Amino acid sequence: MKTEAVTSHSSELNYLNCDKSVWSWVTTVDHKRIGLMYLFTISIFFFIGGLAALLMRTELAMPGHTFLPGDYNAAANTYNQLFTVHGVIMIFLFIVPGIPATMGNFLLPLMIGAKDVIFPKLNLLSFYIYMVGAAMALMGLFIKPIDTGWTMYAPYSIRTPSAVIWMTGAAFVLGFSSILTGLNFVATIHKLRAPGMTWLRLPVFVWALYATALIQVLATPVVGMTLLLLIFERVFGVGVFDPTMGGDPILYQHFFWFYSHPVVYIMVLPAFGVVGEIIPVFSRKPLFGYKAIVVSSLAIAGAGFVVWAHHMFTSGISDFSAKVFSVVTFLVAIPTAVKVFNWVSTMYKGSISFSTPMLYAMAFVFLFMIAGTTGIYLATLAVDVYYHDTYFVVAHFHYTIQGGAVIGLIAALHYWFPKMTGKLYNVPIANVAWFLIMFGFNLTFLPQFVLGMQGMPRRYFDYIPEFAGLHMVSTIGSYINALGYSLALFNLLYSAVYSRSKAPANPYNALGLEWQIASPPPHDNFHEIPVVTHEPYAYGKPAHGHGGAA
Amino acid sequence: MFRYLPEQGSDYAGTVDNINNLVTDLSVFFTVAIVGTMIFFAIRYRRRDGVDHETPHIEGSTFLEVIWTVVPTLICVLVAGAGYFGFEKMRTLPVGEEPVEINVYGQQWAWSFEYPNGKKTSGDFYVPVGKPIRLIMTSRDVTHSFFVPGMRSKMDVVPGKYTSSWFRPIKTGPQVVFCTEYCGTSHSNMMATMRVVSEAEYEKWLADKGRTQTPAEEGKILYTQNACNSCHSLDGSRIVGPSFLNLYGRDGVFADGAAYHADENYIRESILYPNNRVVQGYGPPSPMPAYEGRLKDDDISKIISFIKTVKGEAPKPAPVQSEKSKADLTPDARGKLIYQQKACIGCHSLDGTQVVGPSFKGIYGKKGELSDGTPYAADDAYIKESILNPQAKVVKGYPVPSPMPPYQGQLSDADLNDVIAFLKTLS
Repeated sequence: MKTEAVTSHSSELNYLNCDKSVWSWVTTVDHKRIGLMYLFTISIFFFIGGLAALLMRTELAMPGHTFLPGDYNAAANTYNQLFTVHGVIMIFLFIVPGIPATMGNFLLPLMIGAKDVIFPKLNLLSFYIYMVGAAMALMGLFIKPIDTGWTMYAPYSIRTPSAVIWMTGAAFVLGFSSILTGLNFVATIHKLRAPGMTWLRLPVFVWALYATALIQVLATPVVGMTLLLLIFERVFGVGVFDPTMGGDPILYQHFFWFYSHPVVYIMVLPAFGVVGEIIPVFSRKPLFGYKAIVVSSLAIAGAGFVVWAHHMFTSGISDFSAKVFSVVTFLVAIPTAVKVFNWVSTMYKGSISFSTPMLYAMAFVFLFMIAGTTGIYLATLAVDVYYHDTYFVVAHFHYTIQGGAVIGLIAALHYWFPKMTGKLYNVPIANVAWFLIMFGFNLTFLPQFVLGMQGMPRRYFDYIPEFAGLHMVSTIGSYINALGYSLALFNLLYSAVYSRSKAPANPYNALGLEWQIASPPPHDNFHEIPVVTHEPYAYGKPAHGHGGAA
Repeated sequence: MFRYLPEQGSDYAGTVDNINNLVTDLSVFFTVAIVGTMIFFAIRYRRRDGVDHETPHIEGSTFLEVIWTVVPTLICVLVAGAGYFGFEKMRTLPVGEEPVEINVYGQQWAWSFEYPNGKKTSGDFYVPVGKPIRLIMTSRDVTHSFFVPGMRSKMDVVPGKYTSSWFRPIKTGPQVVFCTEYCGTSHSNMMATMRVVSEAEYEKWLADKGRTQTPAEEGKILYTQNACNSCHSLDGSRIVGPSFLNLYGRDGVFADGAAYHADENYIRESILYPNNRVVQGYGPPSPMPAYEGRLKDDDISKIISFIKTVKGEAPKPAPVQSEKSKADLTPDARGKLIYQQKACIGCHSLDGTQVVGPSFKGIYGKKGELSDGTPYAADDAYIKESILNPQAKVVKGYPVPSPMPPYQGQLSDADLNDVIAFLKTLS
């Protein structure tokens, strides 16, 4: 039971209206405002990255050169730039900052009972470093769009005339933003927990942020170093990766995946946390196996560091390395499976309401089952040799990153929307958007598994006629998917600005600390630091009294 | 359910497909079971009429946690094991059968193929049905990947390195080949057709070749042209470096004790960077000059093809001259021995022909111009300096920097005097 009374008047000043000047926003050190600024920025990049994807899907609807401007080769080059832009923007500018920088920034202090993160100015610096990196990436797009794929494999990336330096420079700078945010979160979780907020009373979303931050701090420097070496090689001709200068192209792949495999967990672990928050609230049940979920988050973060070469089974590494990395990769499967079992079990004998966030959480479980099981194919050595660099891999990681991380972000936006804005969104529209996203997403990517099974390689501008029908289905699915996202985000944006329905402080009757203060929260979060006396998901205790009607 | 893999074209394709189908069946079962359970719970325990019903406070169950940790672990062990042994099969050439070896070259944006008899082709290539086919692949520019869906085989084709894969085609007909490592503008058009034909048809196709020299024959010419023959014999006798006889595929030990297997990558590295890893008994340092920048990638492939053909019975090793008998020799005879043992013979002839460096015939006392235009006279001091530090003074007309390794620390002053005594006999 909390000692702090739930007292907040809607007329009271909150973090949004306490100072409305533009200057107060650009110089703010308030974690909530920084979270919103990130949210606004990454939404723009989500839109640009999505647009690139739609242009690609339109070209791919039918075989041959059909849609992109110019002659065949010019269109092929444009296509190569499009998939690179899509990948680089979606990964480095959208989904890596994704949940941690937006929802994490907004919620972390609220969920642990703190007034802000531990280094508020560093937090703002992270945001501006991110903006510098984003500006560099956009410069690269205007000068000569990079055509290397987001993986920027050497020696192609050393020889292509496109603006590789701008883009790798951008990713290098963005890495610092990521490292500083991670550092800030780790220190905040260690030092600023409210009295009584023991480690085992932390909400699982905070645990997920903690595991994510550890990866950000430990893995990001490696990609920074790699990209810097790439720049050195291009500018000064220092032979590190290009064999004509005495380098080794496979070394680049090792360096690259040493970061870029763990980065998948930077994207998806926070989404696991979001689902772990939503399911108990809408089932009115404690999170089943809380400790197992916490341990599995840390286990995934740890195991994620030792599996990188499973991206390289056919790259020319030794057969022995391939075997070791295959076996180790299966270690990631087990904690992931444990999480899914726990989420589903939480619903057992619950009182389940199909609110929009709960619909997204259930969609997440479904999509992540497909992501996880198709990951097993790719960990299995003999089978991966066949699937590597085909559409099967494309579909798998879109189920993981879009079905996992993006759906997690959209779920979080709906769930915490009343807290962030103090308003309610239009529920029927939100549910229609949910249906369009689910339908469109599966229509886009299920056929891609089949294409991969049939042998369709990835990053192909053109393809043999055998693959035609499924590509058309996939393209139609992508339009429906895009429509769904547009509707969902438009609904939230419109409701945030124009909705007249005011959100109560605790619309879901949830126990998290963030729900015990006004919506939207006051500038300093808690007028008085709360004292925590119970575990985070104490739902369903008859004596508790919180399980009443919504 | 979900059986979409293309028709099986190689003998291990069945293994790959069985593992794939096992994973598919397990995946479908667990996805349906878990998502089905979730939907069942969602419907069974839904909040009716928007009113909360009382819920039990269940925090977890150690029993269930153990079950759903152990069961997935066992399944993972099963699947990982199947993948492991399937891979083993895909990577291991059948013993006791000579594979058809084809050199594959990737370049932006075409595949080309070279057969042991010298036949070259690109785009379309032929293989005989029923025989193991071994592809030895390298790239002339960026990384590519050689993917034959029907064979279930895929391997990256990397510049500056050899990779290989093998398969045994089990049915005749065309097989599509894709490049699956992104390589630029025409990546999606970098395809080839592998025509699997009967052995008779293959032999007929192979015999019809446009040129007469095989890669191994060209390799033999390179072997002589580049003076490899001065240090590496073909008959098993030791000159300076190891003989090429039965070299390919040999297992041995480096000077530092590490084991090596003499495959394509090992030979390539030994040619380009002889001092990276030296075989026990031959240094370090190796007296061999580095061929980095002096041989093209294709030349190295040809030399390797040649080395593969040098096979047979090794003769008995010749008796080694002992230290004692050496002292009994005249200075110029000792000098000649040093000339042979230190591989000077590789670059400096005795008959006036220019190999890599100047011939030793009449070299003592010779006068001329250095590469910077200053005059020199080949006296004792000049010769000693040229041996110990070849870069100090390079004679006009010879490459700067000199490809000759420095002999500083390898030859004593007495040795140098012996060499000079030997050179004086060559006027």
